[in-house]
Amino acid sequence: MRLRKIAAAILILVLTLALVGAIAELPSPDERVSQSALTQRIIGKGVVETGATNLVAAVLFDYRAFDTLGEATVIFAAVAGVVLMFYHAPLHPSAIGLSILAKRSLDVIGPFVFVAGMYIVVYGHISPGGGFQGGVILATLTILISIVYGLQEERRLLDPRFKTALESSAALLFMTVAFVGVFSGEYFLSNLGAGFFRGHPGSVLSGGAIPLLNVAIGLKVGAGLALVFYSMVKKEPE
Amino acid sequence: MGLSLAYWVVLLLFGMGLYCILTESNLIKIAVGINVMEAGLLLFLVRLSYSPGDLAPLMGPTTGPGIADPIPHALTLTAIVIAASTTALMLSLIIQIYRHYGTVDIEEIRSKMQ
Amino acid sequence: MLENTIVSILLVFLVVAAATAISFRNVLNSVLALSVFSITLAVLFVLYQAPDAAMAEAVVGAGLVMALFLVTISKTRAEEEAD
Repeated sequence: MRLRKIAAAILILVLTLALVGAIAELPSPDERVSQSALTQRIIGKGVVETGATNLVAAVLFDYRAFDTLGEATVIFAAVAGVVLMFYHAPLHPSAIGLSILAKRSLDVIGPFVFVAGMYIVVYGHISPGGGFQGGVILATLTILISIVYGLQEERRLLDPRFKTALESSAALLFMTVAFVGVFSGEYFLSNLGAGFFRGHPGSVLSGGAIPLLNVAIGLKVGAGLALVFYSMVKKEPE
Repeated sequence: MGLSLAYWVVLLLFGMGLYCILTESNLIKIAVGINVMEAGLLLFLVRLSYSPGDLAPLMGPTTGPGIADPIPHALTLTAIVIAASTTALMLSLIIQIYRHYGTVDIEEIRSKMQ
Repeated sequence: MLENTIVSILLVFLVVAAATAISFRNVLNSVLALSVFSITLAVLFVLYQAPDAAMAEAVVGAGLVMALFLVTISKTRAEEEAD
Protein backbone atom coordinates (compact mmCIF):
# COMPACT_ATOMS: atom_id res chain seq x y z
CA MET A 1 0.00 0.00 0.00
CA ARG A 2 2.78 2.40 1.01
CA LEU A 3 4.83 1.32 -1.98
CA ARG A 4 1.92 1.93 -4.31
CA LYS A 5 1.52 5.50 -3.05
CA ILE A 6 5.20 6.27 -3.66
CA ALA A 7 5.08 4.70 -7.12
CA ALA A 8 1.96 6.71 -7.98
CA ALA A 9 3.59 9.94 -6.77
CA ILE A 10 6.70 9.31 -8.89
CA LEU A 11 4.61 8.47 -11.96
CA ILE A 12 2.53 11.63 -11.58
CA LEU A 13 5.65 13.76 -11.01
CA VAL A 14 7.20 12.50 -14.27
CA LEU A 15 3.94 13.02 -16.16
CA THR A 16 3.50 16.54 -14.74
CA LEU A 17 7.05 17.52 -15.70
CA ALA A 18 6.40 16.36 -19.27
CA LEU A 19 3.16 18.36 -19.32
CA VAL A 20 4.95 21.47 -17.98
CA GLY A 21 7.26 21.22 -20.99
CA ALA A 22 4.26 21.02 -23.31
CA ILE A 23 2.46 23.90 -21.63
CA ALA A 24 5.53 26.15 -21.87
CA GLU A 25 5.01 26.12 -25.64
CA LEU A 26 1.56 27.71 -25.30
CA PRO A 27 1.13 31.44 -25.94
CA SER A 28 1.43 33.73 -22.92
CA PRO A 29 -1.88 34.81 -21.34
CA ASP A 30 -1.79 38.49 -22.29
CA GLU A 31 -1.04 38.06 -25.96
CA ARG A 32 -3.87 37.76 -28.48
CA VAL A 33 -3.60 34.54 -30.44
CA SER A 34 -4.71 34.43 -34.05
CA GLN A 35 -7.69 32.14 -34.42
CA SER A 36 -7.81 29.32 -36.94
CA ALA A 37 -9.42 29.78 -40.34
CA LEU A 38 -12.30 27.53 -39.31
CA THR A 39 -13.07 29.68 -36.26
CA GLN A 40 -12.85 32.88 -38.32
CA ARG A 41 -15.27 31.39 -40.83
CA ILE A 42 -17.77 30.41 -38.10
CA ILE A 43 -17.54 33.80 -36.36
CA GLY A 44 -17.75 35.75 -39.61
CA LYS A 45 -20.47 33.84 -41.44
CA GLY A 46 -22.11 31.73 -38.72
CA VAL A 47 -25.19 33.89 -38.29
CA VAL A 48 -25.81 34.14 -42.05
CA GLU A 49 -25.23 30.45 -42.70
CA THR A 50 -27.26 29.04 -39.79
CA GLY A 51 -29.61 31.82 -38.65
CA ALA A 52 -28.67 31.24 -34.99
CA THR A 53 -27.08 34.05 -32.98
CA ASN A 54 -25.65 31.65 -30.37
CA LEU A 55 -22.60 30.36 -32.19
CA VAL A 56 -22.18 27.41 -29.82
CA ALA A 57 -25.64 26.20 -30.84
CA ALA A 58 -24.67 26.81 -34.47
CA VAL A 59 -21.60 24.58 -34.05
CA LEU A 60 -23.47 21.92 -32.07
CA PHE A 61 -26.56 21.58 -34.27
CA ASP A 62 -25.41 22.70 -37.70
CA TYR A 63 -21.67 22.52 -38.40
CA ARG A 64 -21.02 19.52 -36.15
CA ALA A 65 -24.55 18.10 -35.82
CA PHE A 66 -23.35 14.60 -36.67
CA ASP A 67 -21.15 14.78 -33.57
CA THR A 68 -24.23 15.63 -31.51
CA LEU A 69 -26.02 12.59 -32.93
CA GLY A 70 -23.13 10.44 -31.73
CA GLU A 71 -23.33 12.06 -28.30
CA ALA A 72 -27.07 11.36 -28.12
CA THR A 73 -26.26 7.73 -28.93
CA VAL A 74 -23.76 7.58 -26.05
CA ILE A 75 -26.41 8.93 -23.64
CA PHE A 76 -28.91 6.40 -24.99
CA ALA A 77 -26.44 3.55 -24.41
CA ALA A 78 -25.66 4.75 -20.86
CA VAL A 79 -29.36 5.06 -19.99
CA ALA A 80 -30.07 1.63 -21.47
CA GLY A 81 -27.21 0.14 -19.42
CA VAL A 82 -28.38 1.64 -16.14
CA VAL A 83 -32.03 0.68 -16.72
CA LEU A 84 -31.03 -2.87 -17.62
CA MET A 85 -28.88 -3.22 -14.49
CA PHE A 86 -31.78 -2.28 -12.20
CA TYR A 87 -34.55 -3.83 -14.26
CA HIS A 88 -35.73 -6.33 -11.62
CA ALA A 89 -35.50 -4.02 -8.63
CA PRO A 90 -38.95 -3.46 -7.10
CA LEU A 91 -40.25 -0.07 -6.06
CA HIS A 92 -39.39 1.24 -2.61
CA PRO A 93 -42.55 0.65 -0.55
CA SER A 94 -42.14 3.30 2.17
CA ALA A 95 -41.90 6.30 -0.13
CA ILE A 96 -44.25 8.81 1.48
CA GLY A 97 -42.16 11.93 0.93
CA LEU A 98 -41.41 14.94 3.09
CA SER A 99 -43.66 17.20 5.23
CA ILE A 100 -46.56 19.24 3.92
CA LEU A 101 -44.45 22.43 3.99
CA ALA A 102 -41.96 20.98 1.52
CA LYS A 103 -44.79 19.69 -0.67
CA ARG A 104 -46.59 23.06 -0.86
CA SER A 105 -43.25 24.82 -1.53
CA LEU A 106 -42.58 22.50 -4.43
CA ASP A 107 -46.11 23.18 -5.72
CA VAL A 108 -45.15 26.86 -5.93
CA ILE A 109 -41.60 26.41 -7.27
CA GLY A 110 -42.17 23.43 -9.58
CA PRO A 111 -44.00 25.21 -12.43
CA PHE A 112 -41.34 27.91 -12.50
CA VAL A 113 -38.56 25.32 -12.72
CA PHE A 114 -40.45 23.63 -15.56
CA VAL A 115 -40.90 26.94 -17.42
CA ALA A 116 -37.22 27.81 -16.89
CA GLY A 117 -36.16 24.45 -18.32
CA MET A 118 -38.44 24.78 -21.35
CA TYR A 119 -37.31 28.40 -21.87
CA ILE A 120 -33.66 27.33 -21.90
CA VAL A 121 -34.47 24.57 -24.41
CA VAL A 122 -36.57 26.72 -26.77
CA TYR A 123 -34.34 29.83 -26.68
CA GLY A 124 -31.16 27.76 -27.08
CA HIS A 125 -30.32 29.20 -30.50
CA ILE A 126 -30.37 32.88 -29.48
CA SER A 127 -29.12 32.89 -25.88
CA PRO A 128 -26.86 30.69 -23.72
CA GLY A 129 -28.44 27.32 -23.12
CA GLY A 130 -29.91 24.66 -25.31
CA GLY A 131 -31.19 21.13 -25.28
CA PHE A 132 -28.57 19.67 -22.96
CA GLN A 133 -28.82 22.27 -20.18
CA GLY A 134 -32.61 22.57 -20.33
CA GLY A 135 -33.00 18.79 -20.47
CA VAL A 136 -30.91 18.36 -17.32
CA ILE A 137 -33.04 21.00 -15.57
CA LEU A 138 -36.20 19.06 -16.50
CA ALA A 139 -34.58 15.85 -15.19
CA THR A 140 -33.69 17.67 -11.95
CA LEU A 141 -37.37 18.61 -11.55
CA THR A 142 -38.35 14.92 -11.55
CA ILE A 143 -35.61 14.29 -8.95
CA LEU A 144 -37.16 17.04 -6.79
CA ILE A 145 -40.61 15.51 -7.16
CA SER A 146 -39.39 12.05 -6.20
CA ILE A 147 -37.59 13.41 -3.12
CA VAL A 148 -40.41 15.66 -1.91
CA TYR A 149 -43.49 13.65 -2.89
CA GLY A 150 -41.95 10.19 -2.78
CA LEU A 151 -41.20 7.77 -5.57
CA GLN A 152 -44.74 6.34 -5.78
CA GLU A 153 -46.19 9.75 -6.58
CA GLU A 154 -43.50 10.47 -9.14
CA ARG A 155 -44.20 7.10 -10.75
CA ARG A 156 -47.92 7.95 -10.86
CA LEU A 157 -47.23 11.34 -12.49
CA LEU A 158 -44.60 10.17 -14.97
CA ASP A 159 -44.74 6.47 -15.71
CA PRO A 160 -41.32 4.98 -16.60
CA ARG A 161 -42.84 3.58 -19.78
CA PHE A 162 -43.92 7.14 -20.69
CA LYS A 163 -40.34 8.34 -20.14
CA THR A 164 -39.01 5.53 -22.33
CA ALA A 165 -41.51 6.42 -25.06
CA LEU A 166 -40.59 10.12 -24.75
CA GLU A 167 -36.88 9.39 -25.08
CA SER A 168 -37.34 7.14 -28.10
CA SER A 169 -39.71 9.54 -29.86
CA ALA A 170 -37.26 12.41 -29.26
CA ALA A 171 -34.54 10.32 -30.92
CA LEU A 172 -36.95 9.66 -33.81
CA LEU A 173 -37.65 13.41 -34.11
CA PHE A 174 -33.91 14.06 -34.38
CA MET A 175 -33.56 11.43 -37.11
CA THR A 176 -36.61 12.76 -38.98
CA VAL A 177 -35.16 16.27 -39.04
CA ALA A 178 -31.84 14.76 -40.14
CA PHE A 179 -33.42 12.84 -43.04
CA VAL A 180 -35.40 15.86 -44.28
CA GLY A 181 -32.02 17.12 -45.49
CA VAL A 182 -31.40 13.92 -47.47
CA PHE A 183 -34.85 13.83 -49.10
CA SER A 184 -34.71 17.48 -50.12
CA GLY A 185 -31.60 16.79 -52.18
CA GLU A 186 -29.10 18.19 -49.71
CA TYR A 187 -26.86 16.32 -47.28
CA PHE A 188 -27.62 14.50 -44.00
CA LEU A 189 -28.51 16.99 -41.20
CA SER A 190 -28.56 19.91 -43.62
CA ASN A 191 -30.13 22.98 -42.04
CA LEU A 192 -31.07 26.07 -44.06
CA GLY A 193 -30.18 24.41 -47.36
CA ALA A 194 -32.97 21.88 -46.80
CA GLY A 195 -35.57 24.64 -46.78
CA PHE A 196 -36.12 25.05 -43.03
CA PHE A 197 -37.60 28.39 -42.00
CA ARG A 198 -34.80 30.96 -41.75
CA GLY A 199 -36.66 33.74 -39.96
CA HIS A 200 -35.02 36.86 -38.64
CA PRO A 201 -31.81 36.07 -36.67
CA GLY A 202 -32.40 36.88 -33.00
CA SER A 203 -36.10 36.01 -32.93
CA VAL A 204 -37.52 32.76 -31.56
CA LEU A 205 -38.70 31.45 -34.92
CA SER A 206 -35.35 31.46 -36.67
CA GLY A 207 -32.36 29.27 -37.19
CA GLY A 208 -34.06 26.63 -39.36
CA ALA A 209 -33.82 23.18 -37.80
CA ILE A 210 -31.78 24.24 -34.76
CA PRO A 211 -34.80 24.86 -32.43
CA LEU A 212 -36.32 21.53 -33.51
CA LEU A 213 -33.08 19.67 -32.79
CA ASN A 214 -32.83 21.54 -29.47
CA VAL A 215 -36.31 20.35 -28.45
CA ALA A 216 -35.47 16.79 -29.50
CA ILE A 217 -32.22 16.75 -27.53
CA GLY A 218 -33.88 18.44 -24.54
CA LEU A 219 -36.67 15.85 -24.30
CA LYS A 220 -34.23 13.01 -24.89
CA VAL A 221 -31.72 14.14 -22.24
CA GLY A 222 -34.47 15.04 -19.75
CA ALA A 223 -36.35 11.76 -20.10
CA GLY A 224 -33.15 9.70 -20.19
CA LEU A 225 -31.54 11.17 -17.09
CA ALA A 226 -34.86 11.08 -15.18
CA LEU A 227 -35.03 7.38 -16.05
CA VAL A 228 -31.45 6.90 -14.78
CA PHE A 229 -32.30 8.48 -11.42
CA TYR A 230 -35.56 6.52 -11.14
CA SER A 231 -33.78 3.24 -11.85
CA MET A 232 -31.02 3.95 -9.34
CA VAL A 233 -33.26 4.87 -6.36
CA LYS A 234 -35.50 1.82 -6.69
CA LYS A 235 -35.09 -0.59 -3.80
CA GLU A 236 -32.73 -3.52 -4.17
CA PRO A 237 -34.07 -7.07 -3.92
CA GLU A 238 -32.99 -8.58 -0.62
CA MET B 1 7.81 32.79 -17.79
CA GLY B 2 4.50 34.36 -18.57
CA LEU B 3 2.38 31.32 -18.03
CA SER B 4 -1.21 31.82 -17.00
CA LEU B 5 -2.13 30.59 -13.53
CA ALA B 6 -4.98 28.64 -15.12
CA TYR B 7 -2.56 26.23 -16.86
CA TRP B 8 -0.86 25.43 -13.54
CA VAL B 9 -4.27 24.79 -12.02
CA VAL B 10 -5.07 22.43 -14.90
CA LEU B 11 -1.85 20.52 -14.21
CA LEU B 12 -2.60 20.37 -10.47
CA LEU B 13 -6.17 19.16 -11.00
CA PHE B 14 -5.05 16.50 -13.47
CA GLY B 15 -2.30 15.29 -11.14
CA MET B 16 -4.51 15.26 -8.06
CA GLY B 17 -7.27 13.36 -9.89
CA LEU B 18 -4.81 10.77 -11.18
CA TYR B 19 -3.23 10.36 -7.73
CA CYS B 20 -6.68 9.81 -6.25
CA ILE B 21 -7.50 7.16 -8.88
CA LEU B 22 -4.20 5.32 -8.35
CA THR B 23 -4.03 5.30 -4.56
CA GLU B 24 -7.60 5.31 -3.21
CA SER B 25 -9.21 1.98 -2.36
CA ASN B 26 -12.81 3.23 -2.06
CA LEU B 27 -14.65 2.95 -5.38
CA ILE B 28 -16.74 6.09 -4.79
CA LYS B 29 -13.57 8.10 -4.10
CA ILE B 30 -12.18 6.80 -7.40
CA ALA B 31 -15.30 8.14 -9.15
CA VAL B 32 -14.68 11.53 -7.45
CA GLY B 33 -11.07 11.45 -8.72
CA ILE B 34 -12.21 10.76 -12.27
CA ASN B 35 -14.58 13.73 -12.05
CA VAL B 36 -11.77 16.04 -10.83
CA MET B 37 -9.51 14.88 -13.68
CA GLU B 38 -12.24 15.57 -16.24
CA ALA B 39 -12.81 19.03 -14.78
CA GLY B 40 -9.13 19.84 -15.27
CA LEU B 41 -9.42 18.91 -18.92
CA LEU B 42 -12.55 21.06 -19.37
CA LEU B 43 -10.82 24.06 -17.78
CA PHE B 44 -7.93 23.60 -20.22
CA LEU B 45 -10.26 23.60 -23.25
CA VAL B 46 -12.16 26.69 -22.10
CA ARG B 47 -8.98 28.61 -21.15
CA LEU B 48 -7.39 27.84 -24.54
CA SER B 49 -10.32 29.34 -26.45
CA TYR B 50 -10.11 32.67 -24.58
CA SER B 51 -7.81 35.65 -25.09
CA PRO B 52 -8.07 38.74 -22.86
CA GLY B 53 -10.89 41.06 -23.85
CA ASP B 54 -12.84 38.44 -25.77
CA LEU B 55 -16.63 38.37 -25.62
CA ALA B 56 -18.88 35.30 -25.41
CA PRO B 57 -19.78 33.76 -28.80
CA LEU B 58 -23.23 35.34 -28.90
CA MET B 59 -23.66 37.62 -31.90
CA GLY B 60 -25.50 40.75 -30.81
CA PRO B 61 -25.39 44.50 -31.34
CA THR B 62 -22.26 44.98 -29.16
CA THR B 63 -18.87 43.92 -30.42
CA GLY B 64 -15.56 43.64 -28.58
CA PRO B 65 -11.96 43.28 -29.71
CA GLY B 66 -12.60 39.61 -30.37
CA ILE B 67 -14.88 36.66 -29.83
CA ALA B 68 -14.00 33.52 -27.89
CA ASP B 69 -13.62 30.41 -30.04
CA PRO B 70 -17.02 28.61 -30.12
CA ILE B 71 -15.71 25.20 -31.23
CA PRO B 72 -13.96 24.25 -27.94
CA HIS B 73 -17.06 25.49 -26.10
CA ALA B 74 -19.20 23.03 -28.04
CA LEU B 75 -16.69 20.25 -27.33
CA THR B 76 -16.73 21.18 -23.62
CA LEU B 77 -20.51 20.97 -23.55
CA THR B 78 -20.38 17.54 -25.20
CA ALA B 79 -17.74 16.39 -22.72
CA ILE B 80 -19.75 17.57 -19.69
CA VAL B 81 -22.91 15.71 -20.70
CA ILE B 82 -21.02 12.54 -21.63
CA ALA B 83 -19.12 12.74 -18.32
CA ALA B 84 -22.46 12.90 -16.50
CA SER B 85 -23.83 9.83 -18.27
CA THR B 86 -20.63 7.82 -17.79
CA THR B 87 -20.64 8.82 -14.10
CA ALA B 88 -24.19 7.50 -13.84
CA LEU B 89 -23.07 4.20 -15.40
CA MET B 90 -20.03 4.07 -13.11
CA LEU B 91 -22.15 4.63 -9.98
CA SER B 92 -24.68 1.99 -11.04
CA LEU B 93 -21.83 -0.49 -11.46
CA ILE B 94 -20.59 0.45 -7.98
CA ILE B 95 -24.05 -0.28 -6.53
CA GLN B 96 -24.09 -3.65 -8.33
CA ILE B 97 -20.60 -4.46 -7.00
CA TYR B 98 -21.75 -3.58 -3.49
CA ARG B 99 -24.75 -5.87 -3.89
CA HIS B 100 -22.50 -8.72 -4.97
CA TYR B 101 -19.56 -8.33 -2.58
CA GLY B 102 -21.05 -6.28 0.27
CA THR B 103 -18.28 -3.68 0.19
CA VAL B 104 -16.94 -0.87 -2.00
CA ASP B 105 -13.29 -1.29 -0.93
CA ILE B 106 -11.21 -2.76 -3.75
CA GLU B 107 -8.77 -4.50 -1.41
CA GLU B 108 -11.58 -6.41 0.28
CA ILE B 109 -13.18 -7.17 -3.08
CA ARG B 110 -9.86 -8.57 -4.30
CA SER B 111 -9.51 -10.82 -1.26
CA LYS B 112 -13.12 -12.01 -1.64
CA MET B 113 -12.57 -12.85 -5.30
CA GLN B 114 -9.85 -15.39 -4.48
CA MET C 1 -7.19 44.35 -13.31
CA LEU C 2 -10.04 43.52 -10.94
CA GLU C 3 -11.12 40.68 -13.19
CA ASN C 4 -7.69 39.07 -13.10
CA THR C 5 -7.71 39.16 -9.32
CA ILE C 6 -11.12 37.51 -9.17
CA VAL C 7 -10.01 34.82 -11.61
CA SER C 8 -6.86 34.15 -9.56
CA ILE C 9 -8.82 33.87 -6.31
CA LEU C 10 -11.31 31.50 -7.95
CA LEU C 11 -8.51 29.36 -9.40
CA VAL C 12 -6.89 29.01 -5.97
CA PHE C 13 -10.27 28.17 -4.47
CA LEU C 14 -10.77 25.55 -7.19
CA VAL C 15 -7.55 23.80 -6.20
CA VAL C 16 -8.49 23.96 -2.52
CA ALA C 17 -11.92 22.48 -3.24
CA ALA C 18 -10.39 19.67 -5.31
CA ALA C 19 -7.84 18.89 -2.60
CA THR C 20 -10.65 18.82 -0.03
CA ALA C 21 -12.74 16.51 -2.20
CA ILE C 22 -9.83 14.11 -2.62
CA SER C 23 -8.39 14.13 0.90
CA PHE C 24 -11.56 13.66 3.00
CA ARG C 25 -11.87 10.15 4.39
CA ASN C 26 -15.64 10.50 4.71
CA VAL C 27 -17.21 9.95 1.28
CA LEU C 28 -20.19 12.22 1.97
CA ASN C 29 -17.96 15.22 2.77
CA SER C 30 -15.91 14.45 -0.30
CA VAL C 31 -18.97 14.49 -2.57
CA LEU C 32 -20.19 17.77 -1.05
CA ALA C 33 -16.77 19.31 -1.74
CA LEU C 34 -17.03 18.04 -5.33
CA SER C 35 -20.30 19.96 -5.68
CA VAL C 36 -18.63 23.19 -4.46
CA PHE C 37 -15.81 22.48 -6.92
CA SER C 38 -18.31 22.23 -9.82
CA ILE C 39 -19.97 25.53 -8.94
CA THR C 40 -16.58 27.30 -8.76
CA LEU C 41 -15.67 25.85 -12.14
CA ALA C 42 -18.97 27.14 -13.57
CA VAL C 43 -18.20 30.70 -12.34
CA LEU C 44 -14.76 30.45 -13.94
CA PHE C 45 -16.34 29.38 -17.24
CA VAL C 46 -18.52 32.51 -17.15
CA LEU C 47 -15.45 34.70 -16.58
CA TYR C 48 -13.70 32.94 -19.48
CA GLN C 49 -16.71 33.86 -21.69
CA ALA C 50 -18.17 30.38 -22.08
CA PRO C 51 -21.77 30.79 -20.78
CA ASP C 52 -23.09 27.63 -22.45
CA ALA C 53 -20.47 25.41 -20.85
CA ALA C 54 -20.95 27.21 -17.53
CA MET C 55 -24.67 26.53 -17.51
CA ALA C 56 -24.13 22.87 -18.30
CA GLU C 57 -21.43 22.49 -15.63
CA ALA C 58 -23.58 24.18 -12.97
CA VAL C 59 -26.68 22.10 -13.69
CA VAL C 60 -24.89 18.79 -14.20
CA GLY C 61 -22.16 19.06 -11.58
CA ALA C 62 -24.13 20.54 -8.72
CA GLY C 63 -27.52 19.02 -9.53
CA LEU C 64 -27.53 15.70 -11.30
CA VAL C 65 -24.15 14.12 -10.55
CA MET C 66 -24.53 15.23 -6.92
CA ALA C 67 -27.92 13.48 -6.67
CA LEU C 68 -26.54 10.31 -8.25
CA PHE C 69 -23.54 10.27 -5.87
CA LEU C 70 -25.86 10.73 -2.87
CA VAL C 71 -28.06 7.84 -4.05
CA THR C 72 -24.97 5.65 -4.40
CA ILE C 73 -23.69 6.57 -0.93
CA SER C 74 -27.04 5.86 0.71
CA LYS C 75 -27.31 2.54 -1.14
CA THR C 76 -23.83 1.37 -0.22
CA ARG C 77 -24.01 2.49 3.40
CA ALA C 78 -27.53 1.67 4.68
CA GLU C 79 -26.94 -2.05 5.09
CA GLU C 80 -23.46 -1.55 6.54
CA GLU C 81 -24.94 0.20 9.56
CA ALA C 82 -27.66 -2.42 9.91
CA ASP C 83 -25.05 -5.18 10.24
